[in-house]
Parts: sequence; C-alpha cells; structure tokens
Amino acid sequence: MARSNPAETALDAHSGDGYDASPPLVTGNLSFHDITDLVAYHAEKKTPVTWLMAFGLASTGAALLLIMLAYQVWNGVGVWGNNVPVGWGWPIVNFVFWVGIGHAGTLISAILYLFRQRWRTSINRAAEAMTLFAVMCALIFPTFHVGRVWAIYWTLPIPNQMEMWPQFKSPLLWDVFAVSSYFIVSLLFWYVGLIPDLATLRDRAALAGKTLRARVIGFFSLGWTGANRHWRNYEKAYLILAGLATPLVLSVHSVVSFDFAVSVIPGWHTTIFPPYFVAGAIFSGFAMVVTLLVVARKIYGLENLITLDHLEKMNIIILLTGTIVGFAYITEFFIAWYSGVEYEQYAFINRATGPYAWAYWTMMSCNLFFPQFFWVKKLRRSIPFMFLTSIVVNIGMWFERFVITITSLHRDFLPSSWDYYSPTWVDVLTLVGSFGLFFTLFLLFLRFVPMVAVAEVKGVLPEADPHYYDDHGDGHGAAESVAVRPSPSGS
Amino acid sequence: MIELPILDAAEATDESSRMRFWRSFSHLRKDPDFQKIAQQEFMPGALDEPGGATRRQFLQLMGASVALAGLTGCRKPVQTILPYTRKPEEVIPGIPMYYATAMPFRGVLRPLLVESHEGRPTKVEGNPEHPASMGASGVFEQASVLTLYDPDRSARVLREGSEASWQDFVNFAQQFAAGAQARRLAVLCEPTSSPTLLALRDRLAQRFGQVDWVTYEAAGDDAEALGYQQAFGRPVRPHYRFSEAEVIVSFDADFLGPTARNYLADTREFAASRRLEAPGDAMSRFYIVESTYTNTGSAADHRLRLRASEVPAFAAAVAARLGVPGAGSQGAAFADHPYVAAIADDLRRAGARGVVLAGETQPAVVHALCAAINSALGAVGTTVRLLDTGVPATPSVDALRALVGRMRAGDVDALLMIGVNPVYDAPADLDFAGALQQVPQSIHLGLHVDETARASRWHLPRAHYLEAWGDGRSYDGTLSVIQPLIAPLYDDAHSEIEVVNVLATGLDESGYDLVRARWRSVIPGNFEEGWRRVLHDGFLPGTAYPAVTAAAGPVALSGLPQPREGLEVVFRLDPTVLDGSFANNGWCQELPDPVTKIVWDNVAVMSPATAEALGVVAEYRVGRYEVDRIDLSVNGQTVNLPVWIVPGHPDDAITVNLGYGRDIASNRPRRVTGFFDLDDYTDVYGQGHAIATGVGVNVAVLRTADSMHVAQGATARPTGETYTIVTTQDHGSMEGRPLVRMTDLETFRANPDYMLEQEPTLPGGEPWTEYPEPWAEDHPREQPAYHDNPYYKNQWGMVIDLNACTGCNACIVACNSENNIQIVGKTEVGRGRELHWLRLDRYFVTAGEDDVDNPQMVMQPLPCQHCENAPCESVCPVAATVHSPDGTNQMIYNRCIGTRYCSNNCPYKVRRYNWFNWTKTLPITLQMAQNPNVTVRSRGVMEKCSYCIQRVREVQQRAGLEDRPILDGEVKTACQQACPAQAISFGDLNNPDSEVVRWKQNPRRYEMLAYLNVKPRTSYLGRVRNPHPSLEPTEA
Repeated sequence: MARSNPAETALDAHSGDGYDASPPLVTGNLSFHDITDLVAYHAEKKTPVTWLMAFGLASTGAALLLIMLAYQVWNGVGVWGNNVPVGWGWPIVNFVFWVGIGHAGTLISAILYLFRQRWRTSINRAAEAMTLFAVMCALIFPTFHVGRVWAIYWTLPIPNQMEMWPQFKSPLLWDVFAVSSYFIVSLLFWYVGLIPDLATLRDRAALAGKTLRARVIGFFSLGWTGANRHWRNYEKAYLILAGLATPLVLSVHSVVSFDFAVSVIPGWHTTIFPPYFVAGAIFSGFAMVVTLLVVARKIYGLENLITLDHLEKMNIIILLTGTIVGFAYITEFFIAWYSGVEYEQYAFINRATGPYAWAYWTMMSCNLFFPQFFWVKKLRRSIPFMFLTSIVVNIGMWFERFVITITSLHRDFLPSSWDYYSPTWVDVLTLVGSFGLFFTLFLLFLRFVPMVAVAEVKGVLPEADPHYYDDHGDGHGAAESVAVRPSPSGS
Repeated sequence: MIELPILDAAEATDESSRMRFWRSFSHLRKDPDFQKIAQQEFMPGALDEPGGATRRQFLQLMGASVALAGLTGCRKPVQTILPYTRKPEEVIPGIPMYYATAMPFRGVLRPLLVESHEGRPTKVEGNPEHPASMGASGVFEQASVLTLYDPDRSARVLREGSEASWQDFVNFAQQFAAGAQARRLAVLCEPTSSPTLLALRDRLAQRFGQVDWVTYEAAGDDAEALGYQQAFGRPVRPHYRFSEAEVIVSFDADFLGPTARNYLADTREFAASRRLEAPGDAMSRFYIVESTYTNTGSAADHRLRLRASEVPAFAAAVAARLGVPGAGSQGAAFADHPYVAAIADDLRRAGARGVVLAGETQPAVVHALCAAINSALGAVGTTVRLLDTGVPATPSVDALRALVGRMRAGDVDALLMIGVNPVYDAPADLDFAGALQQVPQSIHLGLHVDETARASRWHLPRAHYLEAWGDGRSYDGTLSVIQPLIAPLYDDAHSEIEVVNVLATGLDESGYDLVRARWRSVIPGNFEEGWRRVLHDGFLPGTAYPAVTAAAGPVALSGLPQPREGLEVVFRLDPTVLDGSFANNGWCQELPDPVTKIVWDNVAVMSPATAEALGVVAEYRVGRYEVDRIDLSVNGQTVNLPVWIVPGHPDDAITVNLGYGRDIASNRPRRVTGFFDLDDYTDVYGQGHAIATGVGVNVAVLRTADSMHVAQGATARPTGETYTIVTTQDHGSMEGRPLVRMTDLETFRANPDYMLEQEPTLPGGEPWTEYPEPWAEDHPREQPAYHDNPYYKNQWGMVIDLNACTGCNACIVACNSENNIQIVGKTEVGRGRELHWLRLDRYFVTAGEDDVDNPQMVMQPLPCQHCENAPCESVCPVAATVHSPDGTNQMIYNRCIGTRYCSNNCPYKVRRYNWFNWTKTLPITLQMAQNPNVTVRSRGVMEKCSYCIQRVREVQQRAGLEDRPILDGEVKTACQQACPAQAISFGDLNNPDSEVVRWKQNPRRYEMLAYLNVKPRTSYLGRVRNPHPSLEPTEA
C-alpha cells in the first residue's frame, strides 16, 4: 500500500492555501480508517488490567479527598493550618493551581482554533478533558474552604426571602461567575467537538452488533449522521463556542487574580496580576498536558497522532510563558522598589529572604530557570526531559500560588500580627486527594471517550484537502493511488 | 451416732413450758394464716413461675414501644418555660440591673458596679462614684466574674477528702468549741480589711483560749506599710497623687501594673499627668529603675535596668545627693551615675511636686528611704498623702514562721485557713505542708479544692464575693459593703464571715445578718436608710482614712541589702494570674503577659546577655517559640523552667512569676470522642483536669522566708530540653513603620504636627481625608438626606491616647467579658487563632542598633479601626460585613459564610475567626457568664470588635424612648469603661462638644496606615516622651 508522501505533494502545489505542510502533523502514513481504528480501539477494547490498577489507585485518592472534606466539614476549618493573619492557606493555593491547569485545554481548542493552529487537533480533546477535570478539582476548594459550606449558595444571585443579593463588589463573587461560566462553556465546547466522534463509535458498535452500546452512545451523539447540513451546523457552533471560550480563557484567570489584586495587602495589590496569572496558567496548563500526553501517547500507541512535533510546539509555549512569568516576578520586584512604599518593598524582600524564602526560590528555579533548557532543541524534543520539566513546572507553579497567597499574608502591615503558616496533614491529604479525583476522571475519559479528535485530525490530513487529488489522478477514482485506498471516509 | 429427737410442728410451737420466741403478733396469736406460711419452706411467690408478661407479650410490647418511641424520637424533649407568675419588682427581662459591690483584692476593696441579667451577674465595672475607682476596673476585677462560674469551683464540704455537709462542719465546730478555753486555734487569713471579719476575730479571741490570727499573702510582707511606719513612726499608708507631680521616680515599683494594690487610682493619676491637649501643656517626667521590664517601665521617660539588689544602693545614692538625712554612703556605688544626677537634679527642682516610691521587691528600709525623700522634698501633702490606717503593720512572714513553729510543736489544735494556699506558695524552708500534718484539725476555706485543701482535714467551699455578703475598705479607707448578686451556686459555699462566726459563736448565722449587725455601729443616723444608701452607692462616704501630715524621721540605712555575685532571682506576682488565685480562670490564662505576650505559661525572664552567658536561646520557629529549659536552683531548691529573653532586663538576674504550676482538683471528666471528632481537642474545659493544672511551673518553692521577693546566689543550668512557648505577638519591632508614633516633648512643642507628618500622603501629596470629618464645616450633616435615617444622627468614633495608656491589659479582659469572647487554649493560640477582639501591641524601640539592651517599650491597644472605607466590606461575597449608618463597621454573623477574605484584607488584622465551634462544649456554668446582648458565635464565622454596638443601641433606644439626644459619654465601650488610665475616648463625632471630638482635634492625633485611604474611625494620640536633657545627648 505504498503511497506518496502527502506532505511533499502538498508543499509544491498548494503552499499558498493555508496549509502548514511541513513537518507532517500525522506520521506513519496513516489512512483515515487507520486513525479511526487507532483511536476508537481504546474506547472499545476490553478493560486492560493496568487501567484497572491505575483506576483503583486514583479512585482511592478520590475517596481520600471525600474523607478529608467530610472530616473538615464535621469539625471545622480549623483542621487546616489556616490562621489569622493567613486566612487563606493551601486550599486557595490548590484552587488557583487547578484553575491554572484548567487553562491549557480551552486555550488549545479555542484560541489555537481561531488562529488556525492545525497541530492542535491531535491534542485538543485530551487537553480539554483535562481542563474540565482540573476545573472540577478547583471548584471543590473554594466551596469547602468557607466556614459554613451549607450556606455557600448565598454567593449565588438566587432570589430569596431575605431579599439579599450577593455583594457584587467582591472579587470572590466574580470568581463564582467567572469559573462557573468557564466550566459550562468549556464543557459545551468539548461536548460539541465530541459529537462526530461519538457517532463514529456508535456506528462501529452497531456494526459490531453491540446494540446497547450503540444506543447509549447514540443518545449522546444526538442523531449525528455526518450529513452535510450537520457538518455545516457543527462548524458554525464550534466556531461560535470557540469565540465565546476565547475571552473566557483570558478572563477566568484574570478574575482569579483579582481575588488578590483587588485587596490592599502588599504583594497582592498589584496591577500586573491579570496578565501574569494568565501566562502562568497557560504555562502550568501546557505542562500538565505534556505530562499527561507523554504518558498517554506511549501507552496507547498514539505516537503517530501526537507526534514529537506536537510536543515540541507545546514545549516552546512552555518556554515562552515561563519566561513571561519569570519576567513578571522580576517586574514585581522592580515596581515594589519603584513605588517607594515600604510595605510593598518589605513584602517582596520578605518573599526572597524571609521565612518562606525556600518556597520563593523553589518557584523561581522551577518556573524561570528550568524551562530555559528548552532553548536547546535536543532537550525540547527529548521525551524524558520534557516529562521531567513538565512536572517541575507544575511544582513551580503550585509554589508560585503558595508564595503569592501565604508570604503576602503572613507578614503584612503591622508586625504585631505577623505569624507563620504551616499546613496540617489534612491539608496535605486533601491536595493528594484532589489529584486522585483528577486522575480518576482522566482515566475514565481515556477509557470511554475517543481521546483524540478523530474527525478533526482527519481534517488536517493532506487527503482532506479538496485539491489533494489534483496531482493524484482526477479525484474521481481514476488514479491508482486513490483507487487502492480502502475507504475515503472514517467509518 | 447420736439420735436427736424429731420435733414436729406441734411440738415446735408448744410454748407452754419454755420461753416464747415469736416473730410477729400473728405468730404470737397463732394466726392460722401465719401457721400456713410458717409451714412453707419458702415465702409465698418465691416458687411461682415468673408472672406478668410472657416472652411473646414482652416482645410484642417492646416492639410496639420501640416503634412508638421512633415516632416521637425526632422531636426534642419538651421543656416548658414559664414566665414569672409574679414578676419580681424592678426586673424587666432583657434590661440589665446594676448593683454596687466591691471585690476584695490583696487586703483592699476594689469598688465595683456589676451588671446582672435576670439575676445572673455577667459583667463587672468599676464604681464610677467611688474615689478609688472612678469607674475603672482592672484585669482581676473583670476576670472575677468568670471565677464565679468556674466549673472547677469547689461545691461540697470535704472531710478527709470525702464529701460531707455543711451541717457536719457546723456540728464539728460546735464540738470543737465546747472546750474552747482549752483549745488553741490559729487562723491563717488573707489580708483583709473587713470590719465584720475583724470583729469576729475579736470574738474568736474571747472564746478560745488562744487564737493566733496570722495574715498571710503569697507576695509576702507589705514592705511599703512597714517602711512608712518605720519612717514616720506610725502606721500610715502613702496615697500618691501623681497628677500633681512633675517628677515621678520609681525604684522598682510596678505601680501601674494590675497587681498593685492601688493601681486603678494610681494609673488614673499618672495618666492625668501625661495628657497633652496642646503643645504648651505641662507633662510629668517619669523615671524608673527596674529589675524586670514591666508595663510600668514602658510608660517611663527614662528607664534604668538594675538588679533588684542594686536598687537600694541606687536609691541611697539619690537620697544622698538630695541630702536626705541618714542617707550616708550606702549609695557610693552609684554616686556618679548620670541617672542619679539627673533624678536628683529634677527632684530638687520639682520639690514638693516630686515623688519617689519603691516597689514590692524592695525591703522596708528602701520604702522608708522613699518616705524620707518625699518628706525632705516637701511632697507630703501634695504628691503623697499619708493616710492614717490606725492598724500597725507587722511583718507577716515572721508571723507565719512563728505559726509554723507552733504547728510543728503541736501547739495548734485547729488551723483555719481563709483564702490562702500556703501548701502551694509558702516559703519552702518553712515546710508548711509538713507542719500542717501536725495540726489535728485543719480547715481550709477556698474556692477550689487546691493543694492546701487536699492537705487539710476539712475543706469548705468558699462563697465567691459575688455570692456572699461582706465588707471592707478600699485603699483610701472608704468603707463598702460587698453585696452579693446571686445566691451561692453551690449550697455548701459559705463566706469567711459565716465560717469564722460558726467557730466564734457556734451559731450558723447568715452573712447578711452578721454584716448588718456590724454595720449598725458604722452607719450614723437611721440604720435602714443608711444601709440602703450604702448598698445603692456601694460605699459609705466620709469613711476614708484621715490624711495626716508628718515628717519622716531619719532612716537607718545600715541594714541595706547588698548585691552579691551570681544570679539573683526576682519573684513577682503574675500580671495575669496574680498569685495563682486566677490560674483557673481562662480569660487570665489566655491573657497575654503585658511584656512578654506569653499565654498559658510562666518563664524565667532574663536579659540577652544573661541568656548568652547561660548558653540558652529562645528561638522563633514556625510561629512558636522553641525555648531552652533551665534548672534554676536557689536556696537549695530547684525548679525546671523554660527561659525567655527580654531586652531591657538587668543582667545576672532572672525574673519568675508566681501563680503557675497549680494543682486544682476537678471532677469534670475528660471528654472522649470518636477519632473523627475533634470536640475532645477543642474543649478547653474537657481535658479531664482543671484548666490551671499543668500550666507552668510553681516557682514559690524557690523562696525562703528571708527571700520572698529576691533570692541571691542562684544558679541556672541548661538542661538541654526545649519547650514550646506560645505568644500572641511574635514580632516585637515596628520595622521602622510609623505605627506607634512618638517623639520627645521638645520636638513636639517645636512641631505640633510631628505625628501627622510621619505618614506618607496619598499619591500626589493631597491630604488623605478627602471626605470631610463629621465636625468639619463642609460636612453634609445639614443636608436633609443625612437626616433621613435616624441612625445618621450619631457618627461614632474613638481616640486612644498612647501617652496615657500603660498597657495594663484591663481593656482586653473587659472586652472578653462584654463580648462573649471564648478562650481557645495554648495550642490554638500558637496557631494564631486567639479570639481577642482587642489586642495590645507591644513594640520595642531602640535609639540605635547598639543599644538593644536598653530598649524602650511602647504599647498600642488595637481594636477594630472601623474604617469608613473599610477594605473588609468590599471583599465579602455575601455582604456579611457592612457599614452601619452611624459609621461603624458591622459584622453580621448570621450572614457570614466564612470565606475569611475580610480578615485577609484587613490591614490591621483585627478580625478573628471561629475555626472550631468553641461554644458547643462550654460548661453550663460558664454559659451563665455570657452576655445575653451579644451573639455567642458559632463555628465558621468571622468576628471582631463592634465598638460595643450593643451598648450603643441600648443607649439609642433609651434616648429614643425618652425623646432626647444622646448625651456625650452616655455610651461607653467596655474597654473605655475599664481603662484606669482613661486612655480611650469614644463618642459621637457629630456632637461638636463631645470629648471624642476634642480629642480628635488634639495635635497629636493620627491614624494608622492612613496612606491606604481606609479612613479609620479610630485615631491615636501620639506618644510624647519627656526626657531629661542631660540623659538625651542626641536627638533621634
């Protein structure tokens, strides 16, 4: 079944029509059908034992989270290490961390879509799923972080007998809106993109005689038949949702940063926060995508779909955003000095030299220095190295939130109120448990949903180009290279 | 085999020939029914099958009752409450009543006005009419209401450790008194001024063959009384009038500390001499020579650290320089000291407006020397009034020593101990506990089953002063009746008057009758009328000790104690738990020490140099202090203590506080909960022992009868152990920030705006008050919109005068009491979770880096600042903290969901959070101490100072009903009311004549962190020092 390299042919004849022809986005000379098989297989095969083991481990973690939250609700917020002056401890650090992780997916799907970055297609499904799960993990923290979780619904604008609205001036309220709309739009966006692939799974199940499976998946595929009208509506909806999601990607972390920036506390009260937080979020989100996909592509044999080139592109983004974040750290220092306000100056000197200097330098080395290795192309394309870096970056980004939240609070204006913050075992296990929940959900995703956007990947294959056949026969089945292909469509 | 004749029933009952034995009349009468029963081996019914329900019926009934119980099980048990059927006159539910009474404190009365809610005393205030209080009250008066409700209070009479009744004791007393003339009775009594008790003492003496009445106090002799008696040759009590003074010199006198006898009046007088309303106002100059850093030292203009044993020589040097007769050459060591020159110079210039006083660490001779100096200055009559007490002062420790000797010799048949705890705190060399075993009948009257109670044969629960009638004299001698506000919580509890009366007369009479009987000879004129007057006013006017004028005789200084090489140990009453009598009081244990800010512990305080010499450290680590422990040995005794380092403490000396290491019995069980439930951890009272038990170390054992205050020749050895010490303030430097603004008098006079200029202005340099102050010309108070809401009429504000504040802690306890602030225990304070709404920030200030051994200390009370532009309000997502129309920042507990964002965004960090449910497990008696007008907070909500909004509303309602404006000073916050220095002013900023407006216009006024534009309603008046020019060569 030899065929000519589609990239080559696309290059010489149609370099002007929006194709990024080199290097190829999918390697291994895969046909449409190969791609479908490759992806759908993992959602259809018998549950592997390793998956069960991984799932067992992850769901134990999720159960741990549940137990920790129950313990905290039963006894009170005091089971955590928070105190006065450090009213927000690990839970808020974890919240911002998870929201940050939840940035990459929608960024990849929406913004890169609008910018016609076609390489996104291999990774966007998994990245978006990661986003959703990360935001779920994130939402747990501010919810259970309040002292009276049973009254949390007071933050929602629900008409009530008290005639009380929430306080719209509070950044926490903006958070409620920003994160929940981000979650809803991301979910819709992910689901809409999933519909053609679900239909593929449905058809394959029907062909294999698995009626029940076909019916269940058929319910979620909303009667998709692949009709031209369906595709037209789909593309429109996808574009609109991408348009909606794009500002949300930027707004959600800007709003999260307002939690800090709107306050008066030195180290928090900073106008640089919104862009700096967004950059940090993209940084950590991409690192998490790399962490997950480096493993997933290996285990699931998707190296041809998620190629080294994809990973390298993400590493370049990590390098870029890491440098932006590092630049922001330095700018903060400069502005603190330049402001001439002694409280600001002290807050930053204290970060770098005070009792939490270890956290600050962990953050600096993980976020600013370590990603600089990606200037070296060899390291950028080294799977072990990028795996290591992606984990280091996420550790660094967790510490960034730790530094911002805790070092600013623990020593603010009046030295008399200065204190120290130490987490408790409940804090630690809650964080561990949130990873458990995240991986539980992600494993379920890998098991039951096509982890690569099959229809979209096919769309970036050279064969999907309407003019592809111009050089390979007449496009009507005459040329040998076309004629021998088993089937032009996915199913 | 012997055959015994067989008796048949007929024979057995044949009674014709023998004595008759019969069981009952029916037996005797040979009742046939009885005969029948007697035939049977077992009583009727014993052999029957169990009657009643069968197994099936039983199961049916049980099943039905379980089912029916299930129907009702969801409901709470019905507890019916009924209104008063006949309402007591004057009681209006919800409206508190105030009763005048007084609290005995170290032999004097502190006059009080106590708030009572439906018969339940909840809050103690000073009696504003009384000259010794003028409405102020201190730490211990405020805290005493919690002692009343102390769940570990002794409730039952104990005889040999097992429960007995009051009647048992009365019977015992009557028997004991039967041979009274042959009985040798001793009474070891706390210092008292009660005329009734002293009259009963005389009756005891008449009844018993021998009565030794020994006055004993943990603090030892009243050296001041002895010294003044020595100097003037008659028993006089110095009554200082610092407001008249230009120069005040204290030789280790902690007269502004809450443990001092007359600290309320002294603080008020002292503060009056420090108030600067205008730059031209005069201000006293205060020198102190101190053996440990106290809050009195923090108020000084010049402070010299000296070992307690060096202070006499220093005083002698001052006296010699002033030419006081008899001063001699004892002070040669300090003759050239610059402080001596400056003090003598100033005193000479001040003349009759100078005053010197000595502290409790000083022997009587130093007090006599002070008396001589005052006399030589002509200060007697101006700054020192001499009150003729008429009661000769005697060295009480010597009397105790003699008593112990007699006890050991078996010369005491019965020992009655009233309010003292000698087993715990008597000097170790006397071995009081050993001698007590030699006394056949020892009777202990106390609030707790404490160390002495357990070593005594009898323990009698003492009635708290709020429960029993009593009387006494305040420091100035004014007579008061102690009026109870509640019947004793425990039936067995009796007052010392009642107990002594039982011994003296054999009659169980009520304290009320006894006090009234005594007062019949006290009150002139119509007794009933006068009695009512006394109860209403709280005192009998005109009964103060007469002031006398006298000249001091020459003082024999030959006996001046000389300092010795080696460490010296200074014993002090603790400023939070006194001598241990407040150790079981949660408010006191959690009250930070004014200087060290340590809670729930006592420590060996030393200077940095001494610590270095001993090789010990107090390291700050992750929010707590890890300190070394030392074995401190003196007088042949050793205690193991954690160390604490205070700059400004003299070298080669260690200060230890009495009152810790208590062992009080408690019968409350340890709370036991499941592993998932932290109630056992959060219940401070549920640890299975009294809360004082196990807190700190008893240092009284280091004392001997000769070294009650200062022990020399001590050694300290680091043990290598470390210990966690918890403070409420971990950081003592202001980091150069303009928080407590201070300058000296010269600078202030040259530039009255000095305080304001310390702060950075807003960007662009405009003044920070953009919105007109409520009293300003352009304030919109005349606009109709301003009057739409009646609450806008008043705009509340507060000013705190840092020049007057002495950091005595009274405000904190008053706030605890008024606002139902819970205690959280040592561990939680260590985690930064204390709930004090008002805190006293203490900062050390040094002129230069090299002078860290002699820092100044400044105190700053910090309640909620009630910012007009409150940063907490805008960040709450549910609007749980909002601004009231009258300008206070309010916390709506019901609405709070506990995000803690407000606390994070508070630049002053005055907000407190309920990390756990602190009130869920509160013992029932302590629930009675809660103020019903303030919400008791549950877990998960934020709380903070409310400017005592409940008091504001109460006055507003009253004024509204009476249709009149609120008068200035009608609303007093709890902290303001308690403050003996009158350092806090609170009032309506809309009232141009109010005191608070006058204070706000003081040139010293400033707002902390004004640059944030939060516009605090709480202002501070900057601190002004008045240094002697010769001691202040460089101007900082």
